[in-house]
Amino acid sequence: MTETTTTDEGGVPDIPARPPSRGFLEERRDLALGLGLALAIVVVIVATGEKQALVIGTISGAAYGLVAIGLVLIYKSSGVFNFAQGEFGTVALFALYLLHFHVPYGIAVIGALVVALLMGLLVERLIIRPLFTAPRVILLVATAGVALLTIGIELWFGGTLGKNVNRALPELNRMTIFGLQISDQRLLLIGTLAVLALLLGLFFSRTNLGLAIIGASQEPTATELVGISVRRLSSFTWAMSAVLGGLAAILAVPETGSFTPGVMTSSYLIPAFTAAVLGGMTSLPGAFLGGVLIGVIQSIATSGAVFDDIPGTPSTLLVFIVLVLVLVIRPQGLLGKKA
Amino acid sequence: MTLTHATEATATTDAPSRRAQAFRPGVGGWIGRAVLWAAVAWLVLVFPLGRPGFEVQIYATAVCYGMVALSLNVLLGYVGQISLGHQAFVGIGAFTSAYMMTVQGQSFWVGVVVAALVGGGQALILGGTSLRITGLYFALVTLSYGLVAEQNVFQIQELTGGGQGQPAPKPDLFDTDWRYYYLCLGFLALVLYVDRRLMKSKGGRALLALRENPRVAATFGVNVRIATLFAFVVSGAIAGLAGALIASNDTFVSPEVWNFQLALVFVIMTVVGGLRSRAGAVIGGAFFALLPFLITKIPLLLRDVWGVRSVFNVIAEAWNWGSRKLPNELTPELAPLVLGPLLLLLTLTKTPGGIGQQIRPIQRWMFGKKFDLHDHGPKEVQITDVRA
Repeated sequence: MTETTTTDEGGVPDIPARPPSRGFLEERRDLALGLGLALAIVVVIVATGEKQALVIGTISGAAYGLVAIGLVLIYKSSGVFNFAQGEFGTVALFALYLLHFHVPYGIAVIGALVVALLMGLLVERLIIRPLFTAPRVILLVATAGVALLTIGIELWFGGTLGKNVNRALPELNRMTIFGLQISDQRLLLIGTLAVLALLLGLFFSRTNLGLAIIGASQEPTATELVGISVRRLSSFTWAMSAVLGGLAAILAVPETGSFTPGVMTSSYLIPAFTAAVLGGMTSLPGAFLGGVLIGVIQSIATSGAVFDDIPGTPSTLLVFIVLVLVLVIRPQGLLGKKA
Repeated sequence: MTLTHATEATATTDAPSRRAQAFRPGVGGWIGRAVLWAAVAWLVLVFPLGRPGFEVQIYATAVCYGMVALSLNVLLGYVGQISLGHQAFVGIGAFTSAYMMTVQGQSFWVGVVVAALVGGGQALILGGTSLRITGLYFALVTLSYGLVAEQNVFQIQELTGGGQGQPAPKPDLFDTDWRYYYLCLGFLALVLYVDRRLMKSKGGRALLALRENPRVAATFGVNVRIATLFAFVVSGAIAGLAGALIASNDTFVSPEVWNFQLALVFVIMTVVGGLRSRAGAVIGGAFFALLPFLITKIPLLLRDVWGVRSVFNVIAEAWNWGSRKLPNELTPELAPLVLGPLLLLLTLTKTPGGIGQQIRPIQRWMFGKKFDLHDHGPKEVQITDVRA
């Protein structure tokens, strides 16, 4: 803390001084570390016979990964920890709930995603843009305020009772893979995540727009100088991650039954943040990997007999411990790069 | 609320403040100040005497929320670190006190002291393990910690008395709502005094330096980590104390109230109240505690007292008409969740110093200074200086 800078745009936890440039080998070592950790967990699970936990965890982790990718996108482009990310999802769920009585399910999903997109644009326009130059902690408080306001309005109009929303796939089909039962919606969720992760990876490495977003996150002034509007990019990123948050909610929540106001914030936001931090906060594949890891850890905590002595929900405690451990031992995460 | 000297924290001997001290108000000025002081004293000390007990209980909650806001102000205002899990500190304080009284059979005073110690101890452990983590990541850790408290700690049957909650009786001498209200005021005065003394001490000045620029502070020999940890422990102890007082005020602690929304309300009330302004923080906290009550009572109250029928009837009717149109009424419990963030966003974009900044000219005037409408305090009061 004393020896490193604490400038406003950083937000990266203070890391002991290390060589600024990291070579090719070191890059690969991080990847190997992440994969090794994942492999170790798989081995432990298979050895203890918790195979079902692995699959359930991977799939619920896919939802965390999807939310985490949205968080990483916003962090990359505006350096903000977006605590309203979960509420993009809940608002999409409410829109889906209201729409699916009147129109076919597919159109209702599109409508819900449009609502999430509009909310993303609105938040960016009304909150982020006026505070564009403010310190990041202030923006964090502001996005937390947006989350609270959204929850308040949802409670106001929606009440506290749980609501049921149809699944994307109307008939429940269970498939048997490796001797495990998996519902088709969960396969759809993980498939969507994989495709999206791939597309986003290509978007950020191959397209001009993607490169411009990366550029704007690293050097806003220089990006402006070459004629790219940083603010327009910011709107675009917020809209994009709002849609991702909405998609995560629409795919993941109906599978678990009814939903209540603030559901995405209370049960998805912190695991997703932990996933993003685990993945390095700036890495999209890292967020994906982190999401799956957190999902698996949570599902072991739920099914493992070792954790029965922990009162309440053991997975919350485990996620907290993972978060603190990652931040203390390896603040740059598994796949993160030091900016 | 403004019983003690409120914003003298920044009384450095710079030229403007020395000029202000040379100013002596005239006779009329003294009378005016005395009237305003008397009005404040009447509102805080005398007014609750004539109110029904359940209402005084809400006022006592307001005093306790003022303490919570002061506790967050130490962290957010003085050090620039944000805690999104403060409901855990207050809630654990409340349960500790209730547990000491109900299960261990100790007196209220033991409960209060233990609650404050546990609050400080938690902060010491959490801060000690995550000392390297600052800024946004610290916010994340505290938010996660709040969730752990909510879903793990508050599920411990022994501590919380299961689903039905833990009883927390009032102390013998202060067993009525009115007496307990004055006890809370006394504790608030104590916290204000301690806060003021701490900020005047070497450690307090180190904190202020650290917040302005950690590297410069370190160069001048401030141990940054110890100073941050110190502030966190002080904040945790005040939060634990406030929790113990809230527990006995309600005579009952239930696990459900200490949720994530409450933590956000705590942060919002501190920011809206005004960072680095003790009076502002207390007013902000009290305002948010009273908000559910005010939103139902204000139109009726004003009509009863002054007979202002026309205007407030119109408002009340518009309100009723509005609520008929809405699927649900805006219930008092929801008011802070909806109005709080709106006030927060307004504060952040329009007046970064919050209520504290707005009332500063009046406050200075009350302490015998010249009235200066544009005196919004030293520049560093601005919230935009909080560092990531």
